[in-house]
Amino acid sequence: MAEAALRLRGIRKHFGSVSAVDGVDLDVAAGEIHALVGENGAGKSTLAAIAYGAVKPDAGTIEAVGTVGLVHQHFALIERLRVWENILLGREPRAGLRIDRGRARAIVGELSTRHGLAVDPDAVVETLPIGIKQRVELLRELVREPAVLLLDEPTAALAPSEIGAFFATVQQLAARGTAVLIVTHKLAEVMDYSQSVTVMRAGKIVAAFRTAQTSADAIARAMVGGDVPPLAARTATTSAARLSVRDLCAGSGAGALAGVSLSVGSGEIVGIAGIEGNGQSLLADAIAGVADYSGEIVLDGRPLPPALGPAQRIARGIRIIPQDRRHEALVLGWNIVDNVALGRQRNPPLQHGGTIDRAATRRFATGVIERFDVRPPNPSAIVGALSGGNQQKIVVGRALADESTLVVAYQPTRGIDIGAAALVGSRLIEARNAGAAVLLISFELDEIFALADRIYVMFGGKLVGEFARSSIDRGRIGALMAGG
Amino acid sequence: MQRTLRDLLIALVVVFGVGSAAMLIAHASPIAGFGALLDGALGNASEFAETLLQTTALLFPALGIALAFRAGLFNIGAEGQIVLGGMTAGILGVALPLPGLVLIPLVLAGAACAGGLWGGLAGFLKARFGANEVISTLMLNTVALLLATYLIGGPFKQPGAGASETPQLPAAAWLPVLIPNTRLSVSFLLALLLAGALWYVFGRTVFGYELRAAGEAPEAARRAGIDLGRTALTAMTLSGAIAGLGGATIVMGVLHRFNTGLSPGYGFIAIAVALVGNLDPLFIILAAFGFGILQSGSIAMQAEANVPRDVVTLIEGLVIIALAGRRFVAQRRTS
Repeated sequence: MAEAALRLRGIRKHFGSVSAVDGVDLDVAAGEIHALVGENGAGKSTLAAIAYGAVKPDAGTIEAVGTVGLVHQHFALIERLRVWENILLGREPRAGLRIDRGRARAIVGELSTRHGLAVDPDAVVETLPIGIKQRVELLRELVREPAVLLLDEPTAALAPSEIGAFFATVQQLAARGTAVLIVTHKLAEVMDYSQSVTVMRAGKIVAAFRTAQTSADAIARAMVGGDVPPLAARTATTSAARLSVRDLCAGSGAGALAGVSLSVGSGEIVGIAGIEGNGQSLLADAIAGVADYSGEIVLDGRPLPPALGPAQRIARGIRIIPQDRRHEALVLGWNIVDNVALGRQRNPPLQHGGTIDRAATRRFATGVIERFDVRPPNPSAIVGALSGGNQQKIVVGRALADESTLVVAYQPTRGIDIGAAALVGSRLIEARNAGAAVLLISFELDEIFALADRIYVMFGGKLVGEFARSSIDRGRIGALMAGG
Repeated sequence: MQRTLRDLLIALVVVFGVGSAAMLIAHASPIAGFGALLDGALGNASEFAETLLQTTALLFPALGIALAFRAGLFNIGAEGQIVLGGMTAGILGVALPLPGLVLIPLVLAGAACAGGLWGGLAGFLKARFGANEVISTLMLNTVALLLATYLIGGPFKQPGAGASETPQLPAAAWLPVLIPNTRLSVSFLLALLLAGALWYVFGRTVFGYELRAAGEAPEAARRAGIDLGRTALTAMTLSGAIAGLGGATIVMGVLHRFNTGLSPGYGFIAIAVALVGNLDPLFIILAAFGFGILQSGSIAMQAEANVPRDVVTLIEGLVIIALAGRRFVAQRRTS
């Protein structure tokens, strides 16, 4: 094994009474892709932030052979600046007092070609889809030529086709001697691309493997500390269509919806397979009542006209798990109690005579925390301070907390660990068993295959294929997703 | 809570630190200066009453500004809303021949409507056209002052009125005095009551919940069924109504007539009051009292310690910069 490029010794970090990292030693060798896995809240992200220097540990030492770069789970880009401005922030090439824009564009262009990460240097970041933002984030670190690169959930936002390209870049970096530490939940990626695996649980390292000498199953067992819980059984059978969508069109340009017709039955999970940016966002937003559309959406025989806002749709039992939990679902500065009430603030039992029933809201929050194993299980915890996975559990838990007619789940397990993902999957199946129509939009085929009763493939704003659970053809679906 | 206390502490440090420095530059002794200021504000019952009067004048607009802030809106138009509220009180109080028990609530309601209309106008522009409320409220301040000057000098001109003021109100329209032989009226209690009511509205009601959600996470709020346009309109209307009410209490409790110069910038100082109070109605009471001391003590400070009143203006400005800046930085970090 090569000399360690990053060496952590005896790292400890407490947040209040919670021990996030509890005595961790970790070596990452130069030229190695090292995976750091564990459940939500196991301390992985905190450890990465400590290695980067963004969080000061209570105890322990950090040694690195050169600069350390970190690509964060939540993007830390300046939304209103252009791509090149973000990438070169603080190291802009100058011409006298001015910034040399021509050279700046050239530097970014060369960098993106060299690493195979295509970006438009002049695009304003806030206009970019999430997958491209992630590329910008990576380029911003690569411009500093780090000896150690820390990647926190780097592929959480990427489409399957982008993941391969992303890891090709990472492997290229490792081949040039960069030490890479990847924090991830995706065991398939760990198995395919890493050389070493370290497993954390409750702030401690509980296992370490050479990837070639272990299996995904063994890693999963080490993460959970036992067996991964099985998915809930499908009990009820599918009956009449609850949701029917006809000729739905919305938006314009890339990502527009160009005439989508589909149906979802009572007691049915329908999966929408596809690569991000093929109209999935607008499909979810149209059903949620937050995007303009033409065409017909009918739920239980009653139409949902475009003018019908989110409030009335919520009242009709529609529950949405939106794609961007931090901006579209949560108030980060609020505690769990106030967050779970969002969307139900006008409905009994949380509301009486115009005031919020605090006791009922707290009970409701406690129920969500228990059913979805939110950690820490403290209803007064501020949501912005929770790990991404636990934030997602709150969003999903809130949506699935009561009886619903239609659930639209957009990447419901994004950023959450395998134990929690199984839990979310089971809760979606339970909603289906209770008679809800469930529309599952995901970029991860395995998730769709595991949960869906029926699958549509989406490409270019249209549905281009339909498969029953009994006749899934993985190769054919993959080809359709890519436009074949 | 902790942050609120920290903000108050920052404000105190700025007040005493910068104040002392400014006094030294002005060749005055900080000890004598602050001594005269505190003595002039709190030295005896009538001075204390005068301080509470200033507190009241700041508390109304600060509560209105805090309400808008909670909804994510920056109401810089409180000054204009005070003027129009005060003008409406001045006109209605003279025009309506009614007994006090009916007249006072009616005049207050009229003033709240006028202020609410002015604030709501900015809210409407925001909801309908996306117009930035900072710009529109700021510009409406000037319009309000000119409108009031025109109306009381033209269409509503009454016999015996001066160029920029209405005739004296009949005694029936005067707010009852709270402490005998001072100018302090029951408007102080009204302001405290309003602060308590807002505390309840923010913390307990569905309306307050939706207001805060719209302010802190607009996209999440929209998807949870909260109508952002309507929230902006309602928040700005109420914000303006509260400031307008403040204008009316100055007219009905202190001046007993409307005068276009009724506010020496209460609507602007109140922005600092709302921020120092961290937008929490109960802490805003404390902040308003602190600024009330500065306002009422500054005259004594100038007279007795030979420290220019401008030092107080300077301090108030720096408190705004320190706290608004801190708030802005904190917001950038969390978003």
